[in-house]
Amino acid sequence: MGNPNFTQVGRSVPRVDGPAKVKGEAIYTDDMVLPRMAYGKIKRSPYAHALIKKIDYSKALALPGVLTVITGEEAPNKWGIVPQTANEVALAVGKVRYHNEGVAAVAAIDEETAEAALDLIEVEYEPLPVLLDPQESMRRANEVKIHDDAPENILHSGDQLFGDPDQAFAACTYILEREFHTSYVNHAFLEPQTALASYDVQNDKLQLWSSTQVPHYLHRQLSIVMEMPMNKIRVTVPAVGGAFGGKGEASPADFCAALLSRKTGRPVKVTYERSEVFATNKGRHPCQIKMKIGLNKDGYIQAVDFDNTMDGGAYAGWGMVVMFYTASMIHLPYKVPNAHARVRRVYTNKPTCGAMRGLGGIQPRYAMECMLDEMAEMMGVSAYELKMKNAVESGYRSVSNLHVPHSEYKKCLQTAVEKSGYLEKHGKLPFGKGIGLAGGYYISGTAYTLYQAYKPHTTVLIRVDTEGGVTVHCAAAEIGQGCNTVMAQMAAEALGIRFEDVHVVSGDTELGTFDLGSFASRLTYAAGAAIKEAAAEINLKLKETAAGMVGCRADQLEIKDGRFCSIFEPRKNIEWEKVVDLYTNSVGTLVGTGHFSPPRLKGIDLTRGKRVQGANIGHSPTFGFSSQVWEVDVDLETGKIRVERVTEAGDCGQAVNPMSVDGQVEGSIMFAMGQALYEEMKVDDQGKMINASLHDYKVPTAMELPEMNTTIVDSYDPTAPFGVKESGEGPVQPTIPAITNAIYDAIGVRFTELPITPEKVLQALKEKNSR
Amino acid sequence: MKQLIELEINGRIYEIPVSPKDLLVDVVRKKVGLTGTKKGCGQGDCGACTVLLDGEPVLSCITLAIACQGKKITTIEGLVAEDGTLHPIQQSFVEHGAVQCGFCTPGMILSSKALLDKNQQPTELEIKRGIAGNICRCTGYKRIVEAIKAAGDTLASGEVK
Amino acid sequence: MYLNDFEYFAPQTSAEALSLAARLGSKAKILAGGTDLLIMMKEKILKPECLININDIQEFKTISYVPGQGAVIGAAVKISALEHDSLIKDKYFALHQAAGELGSAQVRAMATVGGNSCHASPAAETPPPLAALGARVVICSSAGEKEMPVEKFILGNRKTALGEGELLTKFILPEPAPRSASRYAYIGLRDAMEIDAVNMAVNLVLEEDCRTVKNLKLVMGSVSPVPLVAEKIPGILIGKELTDELLAQAAQAACDEAKPISDIRASAEYRREMVAVLTRRVLKQAFHAAAGLKEA
Repeated sequence: MGNPNFTQVGRSVPRVDGPAKVKGEAIYTDDMVLPRMAYGKIKRSPYAHALIKKIDYSKALALPGVLTVITGEEAPNKWGIVPQTANEVALAVGKVRYHNEGVAAVAAIDEETAEAALDLIEVEYEPLPVLLDPQESMRRANEVKIHDDAPENILHSGDQLFGDPDQAFAACTYILEREFHTSYVNHAFLEPQTALASYDVQNDKLQLWSSTQVPHYLHRQLSIVMEMPMNKIRVTVPAVGGAFGGKGEASPADFCAALLSRKTGRPVKVTYERSEVFATNKGRHPCQIKMKIGLNKDGYIQAVDFDNTMDGGAYAGWGMVVMFYTASMIHLPYKVPNAHARVRRVYTNKPTCGAMRGLGGIQPRYAMECMLDEMAEMMGVSAYELKMKNAVESGYRSVSNLHVPHSEYKKCLQTAVEKSGYLEKHGKLPFGKGIGLAGGYYISGTAYTLYQAYKPHTTVLIRVDTEGGVTVHCAAAEIGQGCNTVMAQMAAEALGIRFEDVHVVSGDTELGTFDLGSFASRLTYAAGAAIKEAAAEINLKLKETAAGMVGCRADQLEIKDGRFCSIFEPRKNIEWEKVVDLYTNSVGTLVGTGHFSPPRLKGIDLTRGKRVQGANIGHSPTFGFSSQVWEVDVDLETGKIRVERVTEAGDCGQAVNPMSVDGQVEGSIMFAMGQALYEEMKVDDQGKMINASLHDYKVPTAMELPEMNTTIVDSYDPTAPFGVKESGEGPVQPTIPAITNAIYDAIGVRFTELPITPEKVLQALKEKNSR
Repeated sequence: MKQLIELEINGRIYEIPVSPKDLLVDVVRKKVGLTGTKKGCGQGDCGACTVLLDGEPVLSCITLAIACQGKKITTIEGLVAEDGTLHPIQQSFVEHGAVQCGFCTPGMILSSKALLDKNQQPTELEIKRGIAGNICRCTGYKRIVEAIKAAGDTLASGEVK
Repeated sequence: MYLNDFEYFAPQTSAEALSLAARLGSKAKILAGGTDLLIMMKEKILKPECLININDIQEFKTISYVPGQGAVIGAAVKISALEHDSLIKDKYFALHQAAGELGSAQVRAMATVGGNSCHASPAAETPPPLAALGARVVICSSAGEKEMPVEKFILGNRKTALGEGELLTKFILPEPAPRSASRYAYIGLRDAMEIDAVNMAVNLVLEEDCRTVKNLKLVMGSVSPVPLVAEKIPGILIGKELTDELLAQAAQAACDEAKPISDIRASAEYRREMVAVLTRRVLKQAFHAAAGLKEA
């Protein structure tokens, strides 16, 4: 599979941090204790929308053990992951916009005292009307404004036209229009956000340890909120207990820890309760989608019309970017020659939505894959045939100028269909049992920084010497996805040595070289490219030394299995360590650097040659693909859906660590299955979340694990470093529509609203029977 | 308020000053310094804080430390052999790729141990039931179930004492 | 999420526990498994001044059985002990099932059968099978002992018949009748860690012909503040053989008697429908088991 010449890439090696984690010795931020460390807690608003009239914390300060209290006025600078829409503050200033928004923070000598002090902070509010639905929010924007600078209660909207959809629809034989509503879901990572700040008052330097997945963006935001130059701030990422996008922005825990530390001159740790994880959310956007798809008589897609109203919650967050991602996701993985997308991201008085595994893809994919299933039925062909017919191939360029250098999507569809027996089973199972197919894709390597910059997205520095061996420096974030292991494998491959001999220093903005962070499935690709470049520099220099040692020209040497060998005279060879030894003795430590800058493709309507606003979002150097077939068994009396089996086939390019890829795929499947069937955050009519616990917010348990067959299809993207693509976000895309299509096959009802609960199933069955 | 109590953790007796209200998870993490026990929800819902109490898996975030006097407490740190060798369940988790972020891992392994100590060759359903109170958001559970099964086989084969 | 300060007592005998309960009265809460109590304390719903931990009292932790008389289950018996006790599985299958479906392995290892009734959550797992099996609770105080059926003990959401200074010490289960069987079923979104949207238990006795219903008791949970004993079903089924028509009548009767509410877990309407489904299912299953047939 993949490149047969690789020895380190393509190996299913156990992850390097595995032993420490199974022993309980991996250090997460909340495990850290520093001398004189104090504990911070955040006071939160009981209103979802209110003016803050007065905050009196004198009683809290009087509580023995309380060190200090801060409020929003002390750090009013606005931060945001997307600088154009930055509108968040460390703690609310003047107004709260969601229930449980932070209004003050306490530092005390222990956590218990800090918690007790919260009750002694007196806050006077003037409640405002609460807007909870995006349609209502837009309708009532005249009377209730959530942000002064958003007169329609809309963060941003977009209108992207490509080709001539009207004309194309007019010529279509098959046209289908449907409306879909997706749910309000949270990442539910296991480790609540934690930040430990240590402010050096004498040197005006800040060290922050944080459970972040984006040390660089956190670094930037800290600089803004703390009004400190970035070079006085160091962000370190200890072990992170899952993130899935939810730690893809700074969190108020980071700012409060930093501010409290500066004010007290002590290290301060802020660890969220589970309820605070839900309150600060940044989960997936609920979307109200209207989609229209037109096919010609032969089943080729002619046009797609997409209208998306997104419930963004109280603040901007990743919102604008996620919004444009949803618009871009209609252009793949099928060939769509004409398209129109109208999208808007609306403010409501709920915890803010943001980035969540497979962001921007899940919602439009749900709509499109379900509709193509329905359209296949309209045409009297199998969904497989229809999807194969329209599937993109290597070299495809969409009308929006998305370029797909490499695709094995058809192989994914074919493999999943063949291994599951989809064609033999679909439409033929007894009533109540069903099988469903869907596909999907995701970006790999990302294309743009979130702020205007031309700098490389990743820099890798490889250091080689006799003492330390090989060390890869890169400030990427290991969040559980396994990047430290994968980076070691890629570096070893490029250097011709064993991965066990490579050390990776990541997750530190001071020790590591620049990296944007672990999000948007960018890291394996981006770090891989930079590693390759850095290794080439190392290899060049070592070959010069080795050539002298073995007596041949440097350009005639190859490095394999830890030896330099002459290509033409294999007997001329020498151990890698000996070459390093001589180089270090004569020159000193050897350093190679590599950078990665993705291609900056523009969002263009290729039919007119015109730039389209927001359409540069969604580009990436390459794309991963996945296809899934799900089999379900519906209890016709209770409506309960039992998932029996899922068959997945994915194109992740060359798998660097196949076992790790399988883990990503399996995790993705259960993650998305939760959204399909169980998970939903619920708020009452005043915006208070009523299931902000892992008791009532129901993620899948081991009991929900279906039979799972996954296949890494043979793939190698020749344009990608080591042939790689993403594997951790593509596989979440097909899950929800595949389950939905399977339910249709089982009971003849097409669900367009998530989650598909037993109650909804039973209701639908009744309605169907009464028709 | 505080009183000195004795807790037996991983075979060692610790004398610890506690208040009656102190929860086992906080005592183990903050007072004893064994931070392998994780706190994911504080409400007994996620299983990350699971420890063994006389061999039974309990949620240390809703267990009073004072009520654990006279009982044998096992935390994840207690599984490794004196010479540093991993317990077969730990070894199996590493080899099977059953670990990603690792935050659920200590609790998950202790639940697995409680299960395998009673039944070395559980069925797949018994394994799932045994770990249903340990939420893992990364792995999708598949490799965890496989790792537990394989560890059970190793234990049953007597290769490891 | 810290607890309030309280005084802690860990009596070693029931006499000690009773005298503490008498002395401390309403200031004290009984700590059994703690899986409900400590969470409520963390959430500041309860702030007791004293906790009496009854887990060290040996007689509260035993299950005993005398052939022909029945079983006695101590209040502090762990749910996992109930689940794994072969006698309970043999004689009181519905209770075994309910114990196995409660929470997770950890919760079952911590929670107690007494706590499950005393917490008096409408969705509790074990009260319906206990009630269906004719269990009586024994309530002790320094003044003496009294008994009452489980369904009379639970008075409402978090309300029980326990007075100040009283302790629930054990459950007494009668010897199951010949040709009887009990079954439990529930409705929940997932297959673990659920708070049941509806649960139900039935104990059914057949005549010597192994076809005619001699007696039965069906109890519903989570559809009323208390375990709800179906009143009309015995009248519909006793003396009859189970037919689909009678099952439908029984299901309808159960629906009519259920008083479900809508909440975060399910709507009242869905709950009502599930009452009908579960009624049919548990009756059929219990019938098959009692008749010695393979379960459908």
